[in-house]
Amino acid sequence: MEANVTLPLQKPVARHLPGDLAIWFFIAAELLAFCVFFAAYAFTRAKHVELFNAEQLTLDRNAGALNTILLLTASYFVVRAVQAAEAGLKDKVAPWLAAGFLCGSGFVAVKVTEYADKLGAGITLSTSPFYMFYLSLTFFHFMHVLLGLVILAILWFHARRGNYGPDNATAMNNLHSGASYWHMVDLVWIILFPLVYVLR
Amino acid sequence: MENLTHTPVPVDTRRSTLVWLALIAATLATWGLGEEGASGPTAVAALLAIAALKSRAVILDFMGLRHAPLLWKGIVLGWLALVCTLIALAYWKGMP
Amino acid sequence: MQYKSQAVAKPYFIAAIGLFLGQILFGLIMGLQYVIGDFLFPLIPFNVARMVHTNLLIVWLLFGFMGAAYYMIPEESETELFSPKLALALFWIFLVAGALTIVGYLAVPYATLAELTGNDILETMGREFLEQPLVTKIGIVIVALAFLFNITMTVLKGRKTSITVVLLLGLWGLAIFFLFSFYNPTNLVMDKFYWWWTVHLWVEGVWELILGALLAFVLIKVTGVDREVIEKWLYVIITLSLVTGLIGTGHHYYWIGTPEYWQWWGSVFSALEPIPFFAMTVFAFNMVNRRRREHPNKAATLWALGTGVMAFLGAGVWGFLHTLAPVNYYTHGTQITAAHGHMAFYGAYAMVVLCIISYAMPILRGRAANSNKAQVVEMWSFWLMTIAIVFITLFLTAAGILQVWLQRVSDTPLPFMVVQDKVALFYWMREWTGVVFLIGLVLYIASFFIKGEEKAA
Repeated sequence: MEANVTLPLQKPVARHLPGDLAIWFFIAAELLAFCVFFAAYAFTRAKHVELFNAEQLTLDRNAGALNTILLLTASYFVVRAVQAAEAGLKDKVAPWLAAGFLCGSGFVAVKVTEYADKLGAGITLSTSPFYMFYLSLTFFHFMHVLLGLVILAILWFHARRGNYGPDNATAMNNLHSGASYWHMVDLVWIILFPLVYVLR
Repeated sequence: MENLTHTPVPVDTRRSTLVWLALIAATLATWGLGEEGASGPTAVAALLAIAALKSRAVILDFMGLRHAPLLWKGIVLGWLALVCTLIALAYWKGMP
Repeated sequence: MQYKSQAVAKPYFIAAIGLFLGQILFGLIMGLQYVIGDFLFPLIPFNVARMVHTNLLIVWLLFGFMGAAYYMIPEESETELFSPKLALALFWIFLVAGALTIVGYLAVPYATLAELTGNDILETMGREFLEQPLVTKIGIVIVALAFLFNITMTVLKGRKTSITVVLLLGLWGLAIFFLFSFYNPTNLVMDKFYWWWTVHLWVEGVWELILGALLAFVLIKVTGVDREVIEKWLYVIITLSLVTGLIGTGHHYYWIGTPEYWQWWGSVFSALEPIPFFAMTVFAFNMVNRRRREHPNKAATLWALGTGVMAFLGAGVWGFLHTLAPVNYYTHGTQITAAHGHMAFYGAYAMVVLCIISYAMPILRGRAANSNKAQVVEMWSFWLMTIAIVFITLFLTAAGILQVWLQRVSDTPLPFMVVQDKVALFYWMREWTGVVFLIGLVLYIASFFIKGEEKAA
């Protein structure tokens, strides 16, 4: 493995991407996928307004709102973890990440009960266009939450070893990359929740 | 990407906390509008505006794109604008 | 060459090129049959020429992948191959079995071949791309498993790198998804449903992992860019390929009797399939721009860059053209599909195999790169073949658009054969461009025999 070569002090750049270019490429691709899905939902709804309005009422809005709060809070904790690392408070990074992970797991738990309820009622992808989109969109997002949790767990594992601090540029780059991915999962849900659960 | 040097990011935990609280408040507003059964153009506009402001806060403050190259800031904020426009357009199209 | 056992890659590469030549010859035969229907009839009927053309494509690419694995794995794992003897034995078994199958296709009618090879024991034949007799299919599985055993054991005893992990994942996936070729339910919907698990999940799934690994390996070698940087891109690219490619299988499920939601799932995810290919292009150019050394093998670098661009155009753009359900409703199974197929297979898989051969062959023959003169000829072959495939694709696209228009969109649709006559001009142009492609391939082969001042290994 070729070692990293450290260049002589570069002039600090004012603007820079939090994390690796590769992860931002990935985030952009993900955002595009969700954009297409959101538009597909909205334009299909325009053709079946009454059906969508009626079936939207069968969704558990409280669960949706609770999940929004859980994701926002998880994101906030991850922000605090990154800030702790930036400030050199290495022993604070892991606890904040763990808190974020817990909130994310809360989202998963709420979502699973929601799915159990809907699938228990015999709802499938073929029930109606609304449920097709409800299940597809939320499940696609759900998979992202799971991947995000795996990433948080990996970051936590490294944070416990005290890897994240301003003295380790590569590690900080990884931390920012993982955190950015997690925020993307949050960002998408912020649109998804009102769109599928509330907008009528 | 290689030859990494760490670029420090401004740390402002107070601001982050305030943003977080504002996001929670905005979520409660969305939830409240849902409980009211709000519907129609005004409700859609209000809910979309709330969602857009929340997203913008997450993009700039949580993701930290406020300090990112303008290209990337533009891509992600542009994405948000595109999504909101498309949704608004579709709801406008679905109006009775 | 760092490890002696890498030398087993050489016969694989030579066989790959030989079969490639065969594929092109049969392509020219069937291209001519498009316009002169009874050309070589009854000696080589159209369906047989088509079968040989597509089967040879798959087989030569498999030879290329295996050769690439035998070359890359020892170098990446920093250890000799587990068993070079097994690799060589498998080469002969695979080559003889492949040759016998082709002879079978050509010598006896397909139905007779089916009877002779025990198709009544387990009916697997008669399906596009999976036409191989049962014995050949079983042979492929045995060769694949022994091959995987050999390289997996090598990786296990040596260094593990991202490239070997991705390559192994791709090759194991290739073997596993081939098993669906043995599953042939009588229900036609189910038959098609699982048929795609081999056909689609190969080329738009696990093969992309192999492609990514091969490209990353060559780029590390010719640019000298940090492995870490390349690995990060590799992971992003393969994740995007897998997500879009696996769910993108849905774009084959629009009209075969599967549930309606596939029209959404298929459209959305397959529409995103160009992204990983775009990332691959950005990645290849980015790495070459940041190169830390000037590798003497300029031709290999050209192939690597070409793979990114042509895979994006052929698999990405031409795939996107007809992947959305409302578009595919009209274009399904027309010459648009053929246009996409040609550029995608050449741009993604043929080119990446030619790329690794271009990089590895000189080293296997004891030099870092071929002489300048040989490289110039090779670059000519690159441009001839690539431009030829671009024009073949454009002509087929034109034929396809005309076909869709006259046969399907029109208020007074014309019958299939009438339309075929009307687009014959494009088929003629495609045939002549095919001849240019053949000249390019002959030049490629010739470049191996050109002497000149060589650079030391």
